[in-house]
This record gives sequence, structure tokens and C-alpha cells, in this order.
Amino acid sequence: MDRIITAVIAIIGVPLVLLGYIYAGEWVIERLPARVQVWIRPYFWALPAIGFATVFMVYPLLRTVVLSFRNGADTQWIGWDNYVYFFTFPDTLTSLRNSLLWLVFYTLFAVGLGLIIAILLDRVRYEQIAKIAIFLPVPISAVAASIIWKFMFDYQPPGTVQTGTLNALLGSFGAQPVAWLVNSTTNNAALIFVGIWSITGFCMVIISASLKSISTEVLEAARIDGANEFEIIRLIVTPLLWPTITVVGTTMIINALKTFDIVFVLTSGAYDTDVIATQMFRQLANAHYGRAAAVGVVLFVAIVPLLVVNIRRFQQQEEQR
Amino acid sequence: MAEVFGRRLSRAVALCLGALFLLAACGGGSNGNTGASSTDVTVWSAWGGAELKAFQDVLAPFHTKTGITVHLTTVRDANQLAINVDAGTSLPDIANGPTVDKVKDWVSKGVMKSVETALGSDFNAYISNTYPALTTPPAGKSDDLYIGIVAGKHYEMMVKTQVKGLFWYNKKVYTGPAPKTFDDLLAINPSQYGAQKLFCAGLESGSASGWPASDQIDNIIMRQNDATFYTNWIEGKVKFTDPQIKLGYQTYLKEVSSANVYGGPNTVLSTNFGKAGDPLFKTPAGCLFLEQATFIPSFFTQDFPALNLKAGTDYDFFAHPSVDSKYDGNVNGFYDNFVMYNDTPAARALMKYMATSDAQQIWANDGGTLAAIKSINYNDPVYKNAASVAASAKNLLVTAGDFMPSDMQAAFWKSLLNVTNNPGSLDSELKRLDQVQAAAYKTS
Repeated sequence: MDRIITAVIAIIGVPLVLLGYIYAGEWVIERLPARVQVWIRPYFWALPAIGFATVFMVYPLLRTVVLSFRNGADTQWIGWDNYVYFFTFPDTLTSLRNSLLWLVFYTLFAVGLGLIIAILLDRVRYEQIAKIAIFLPVPISAVAASIIWKFMFDYQPPGTVQTGTLNALLGSFGAQPVAWLVNSTTNNAALIFVGIWSITGFCMVIISASLKSISTEVLEAARIDGANEFEIIRLIVTPLLWPTITVVGTTMIINALKTFDIVFVLTSGAYDTDVIATQMFRQLANAHYGRAAAVGVVLFVAIVPLLVVNIRRFQQQEEQR
Repeated sequence: MAEVFGRRLSRAVALCLGALFLLAACGGGSNGNTGASSTDVTVWSAWGGAELKAFQDVLAPFHTKTGITVHLTTVRDANQLAINVDAGTSLPDIANGPTVDKVKDWVSKGVMKSVETALGSDFNAYISNTYPALTTPPAGKSDDLYIGIVAGKHYEMMVKTQVKGLFWYNKKVYTGPAPKTFDDLLAINPSQYGAQKLFCAGLESGSASGWPASDQIDNIIMRQNDATFYTNWIEGKVKFTDPQIKLGYQTYLKEVSSANVYGGPNTVLSTNFGKAGDPLFKTPAGCLFLEQATFIPSFFTQDFPALNLKAGTDYDFFAHPSVDSKYDGNVNGFYDNFVMYNDTPAARALMKYMATSDAQQIWANDGGTLAAIKSINYNDPVYKNAASVAASAKNLLVTAGDFMPSDMQAAFWKSLLNVTNNPGSLDSELKRLDQVQAAAYKTS
């Protein structure tokens, strides 16, 4: 019963309070001198948004930074210990290495394949159908996609019926089955592949949209000037697409650094497949809030420059319009 | 018009807000406390599903017989009791015991009332009826915090128990005798019985992958060392690089070596624990034995509905063979206990009732567990057999990982996966575990 009341208060009460704030505030402001009204009104209207952002974004951020310098129980300052742990412990170093692998290969392949597919499909008649096929994995939740791939990667003892699609395929060529997710030479690649499979369609769609906005006159002019198709792609299309590619690329880098679900579902980080985010989750689950906070801060610091680049790009695009 | 509307709206808003605040003020519920009662007793347990139903079945005759009402609450959060103890708020009259690290403290604070107090004149009968491993500290000791014994006094009353580390086999395939020693077990030739390999194993279990291997290695280490060494290891007082722990790992690796295990390490690591036993029932059999606890037959019957498998006729198990005869009697298992936190007449009555074979017979009849009393009858041949394993135990030792700090447990499980995958990494894995251990047991 208590919970129902709390839920009611949250769902109805919060908007009502906001409404009350606006009515009461406007009632006061209307009675102020005109010059004060003009000055105070924007602040008055922005205050709830700033308040929410402070409570739900800024405060947690600062608190995380504070926690990262405290012990697990949050009772004591321990200096840089959590960071020292992060950068010296073999497990976390492995997770750093893997996140780097994700960052490089996931981004490269997702954006690269997205670009290539977008350009190629631009030139064929069955573009729509092909695009749908490639976009299909995007709306699947990462957990569901991982479970699909868990079946694809399934391993059965050599000599028995292979229920995993990939190993069945290998078997049809007479090859031995591979324990994709256990073998430490294949498992990271397999995980990153699942990530690429599920996001390439997204990159393709964004790049393709930008590709459509390149005017055909420019391309025709180039052809008349005697440029071949490769030169057109290299010297005209790609430079014109560059702002889009950077935005998609930085988004993919952020995605790569945040990777969690695929790894968690497929291997749970076993056999050296941990990434930064699964490491953070593990520290949280084991009540090492300080260490988890330190991992979070490292991740945040790694992502900030990318966010800055992304926002600058957006602003540039806005200005160009 | 607009202004009138606005004024009305703001009045309505104010009214609604007022009503909400009033609601919120009334929202704080009250937690009833029955006090020192002879008619009511409050009980907390963490059980759900079939276990909860069994407990309710046990409690039903108690109410009809005594008229005492049991207020049973399912409390999933194992820390809740500790939170209440620390805050000095009311405790349930009866609940499960605390984690091992709190037992001494709570006893000295008088939070836990002794079983001797609760049972009174029935105490001696309780001791003689219950499996000795559940009520007796290791030889020469007066404390065993795992079973709630402090300075010779009992604080946790045992009601249920389970044994683990059992070797399951298909009775139609393996027709030989139960091996006496681990070496005898390894010496069995699977092809003599038409099976490919000696053992089956499956360690995959999502984010808890590796736990079945920890059961296997625990059963080895507790049979290569005395009970005190084993619990010291759990408590972080023995390093993983200790030669005895390394020996345990090496012995475990014999159970999952390419030569002895069905499908080799890749299969072991890729197979879910529930599917691990499937090759037992294939023709030809993939393996002779699967080491697992008493819950595993439900997976056998689920995976082979057509075979209509029956315990005792189609499959059976034998106890973990002796590894070092000096330590025979160390058996892996766990137990459920109740502690009296408030000494009330009703609480004493319920404790006395739960110690009777009438009550425990109901637990046994509902299935899925052994009672704590030796002389209970079981319909299920699996539990009849398991009861004899429990009776043979001198020390019923817990599964190590479950009582380690959670990141120690996680690292321990992970190390077992890694050495199964690559036995050559054993030394580096053990070194890494020492590193985790040094950090995990720090109390801060």
C-alpha cells in the first residue's frame, strides 16, 4: 500500500508541484515592476530544468568523483588507492586492453562497413530491401542479439552433432569445431563481431542519409571533368561526408567504451573478455563502491573529449545551415 | 474568463497538493511487534517457492496443536537482520542464523539465545537425534561458528541439511562397486563399461560460471586436509599458493583433463551444469560419472523424458571417495538452521516443535532435502542414500566460495575456468588469487 501511495505521489504529484510552481511564480512575477519581470522570467522558467539537471546529473557526477577517493564502505579517505588498483590489477588491465580492442575494431568496422555499404547500395536498384536487411539487427535489444549469437557460437564435443550454426558450417567443410567463446584467441573477436553486426545498419542509415544530400550536379560535373568512380568517392564523396562520419565515429567510440550487455550475456567476462563496463559492474556487485566509482571516472574522462568533439561538430553543422 | 479559470485551477492545484501531503504523511506504515507472547510468534525466513511451501506445511500442525499463531515473513535480504541488530530495532522471535563473521559478536551481545535455553529438557534428545556433524565442533575445539557453536554452547538449531560432492552414474552402464578411494576412482577403465570417458562436467552457468568446479575442488581439498585448514582457507588465513591448495587444484585438473573428461576442456567450459549429465544416458555413454549435488536428477529426467528415468533403478550415486584416509569424515554440505532471538514462551514452543521428528518428517516428505534428524524415513531413494552419507560425516563442511568475500568467490570461480582451459596457467592463476585475497579480506 505504501508503495502505491509513493507511486501515485511520484506520477501525479511531481507534475502538479511543477504546475503549482509555474502558477504561483507567475502570480508573483506579474505583480513585479515590468523591468524586473523581463529580467527574472527566463531564470524562473529555466530553474526547474537546471534543478533537475543538478540533482540527477551534476550531483551524481560529483559524488562519483568523491566516492572514487573513498573506501568501499564510504567511511574513509584512501587517496588514489582505487585508481592504483585499477591501473595495476591484472584483471582490470585485461579489461582496459579489451576496451581498447573494442574501441579500435568495433568503431573501424561499424563505420567503415556502414560507409562502404551506403556507397555501394546508393548505386543499385534494390537499395531499399538491402538496407532493410542490414538495418534489421539494429532494433534487436543487445541482450536478445547476444542470445541469438550464443546459439550461433554453440559448441559441442568433436564428433557429435554441432548445434551451433558456425560450428555446423565448419563441420560441413570437415573442420574441427571451435569453442568460439572459450578460446582466448577467438572470443574477443567473436564478441566484437556481434557488436558490429548489431550496429552497422545504424551507421549505414546515417551515412546514407548524408550521402543522399550530396547534390548530383557536383558528381556529374566531376564525371564530365573526367574523374573515375574511385576518384569521385575518394576526392568528393568522402570529404563531403566527413562531418557525418566524425559524428557517427565518435558515437561508435562512446558505444564501444560503454559496451556491457554483449560481454555480460555471452561470457560474463570469463576467459579474459572483461571490458571496463563489466569490470565496473563487478566492482559494484561486490560492494566496492569506491573502485566502481574510480572505473566510472576513468570511463568518463575517456569519453569527455569525444563528447566535446561531437558537440562541436553538431554546432558546426548547425552554423552551416 | 481566463483569469477566473486560472484562479480556479490554482485553487484546485493547491487542494490536490494538500491532499497528497496528507496521504504521504499517512504513508509510513507500522511494523507490528507481538512482544513477549505465548500466543504469537514472529518468524523470518528467506525461503520462497517449494521451500516456503514445505515450511508452511511444517508449521500448519503446530498451529492446530498449540493454538499459537506463527507470523511468517519472507525476508530475502540476508542483511536485514544485521541492520535491525545494529539499529537496535525489533527482531523476529525466530529467524535464520547470521553470517559466520557475526556469530561470536551476536552471542556476546546476547542477541542470539542458545538452543539449550530454547529446548530446555528436550536439548539432549535434539543432540542425540541430529546428525553429529551438525552439532559437534571439530575434535578438540569448543567453537564452530559455521554451525553456531560458541564456547561449547549451541546457538543455531539445525532443521534441514544437504550433502554435496556425489558421483552420479547410470546404473545400466556402470555396474561396478563404489570406489573406496580417489585413486580407485581414477583407475576405473571407462571402455570396460562401454563409455568414452571417466567423467562428465559442465561449468557454464552464466555470470556464476565455474561454481560446479568449485564444488569439485572443495570436495578434494577437504579430503586432503583437516577441517581447520579448510575453514582457515575459507577465511583467508591460508594462501592460494599454499602447496596444499595447489595440490587440490592439481587433483581437480585430473577430473577435467582431456584424458579423463568427456569432450575435453572446451566441452566442459561450454556446457551448462544442467546439461553436464546428458552423456551419462546416451548410447554409447559419453562418460561414467558426474559429480554433483542432490538436485541434479531433476535435470536428468527433464532432458530424457522418453527414458522415464527412476532413481535407484536407472541412476544412483556414491559418496565422494576418500582422497587421504586421514581426513575421512569430512563431507561437503550445507544446512538450514533457526535461531531464537526473543525468548518468549511461544518461540520456545516453536523451536521445540521444529526439533521433533514429526516436524522434520514433513520437510522430508515434501522432498528436495534431508532433515537434520538421523532417523527420518525417505520415500525418495536418492535421499535415503544421501542420509547415509550425512550420517557418515564427522564434519559437514560448507562450500568454500559461498563463505568467501564475493570478489574472492568470483576470482576463485574464474581461476577454475582458466586452469580448466589452460592447466599451464596454474601458478600464475594462484598468484593472482593471492593478490585478490590480500585485498578481499581487508575489513574497512
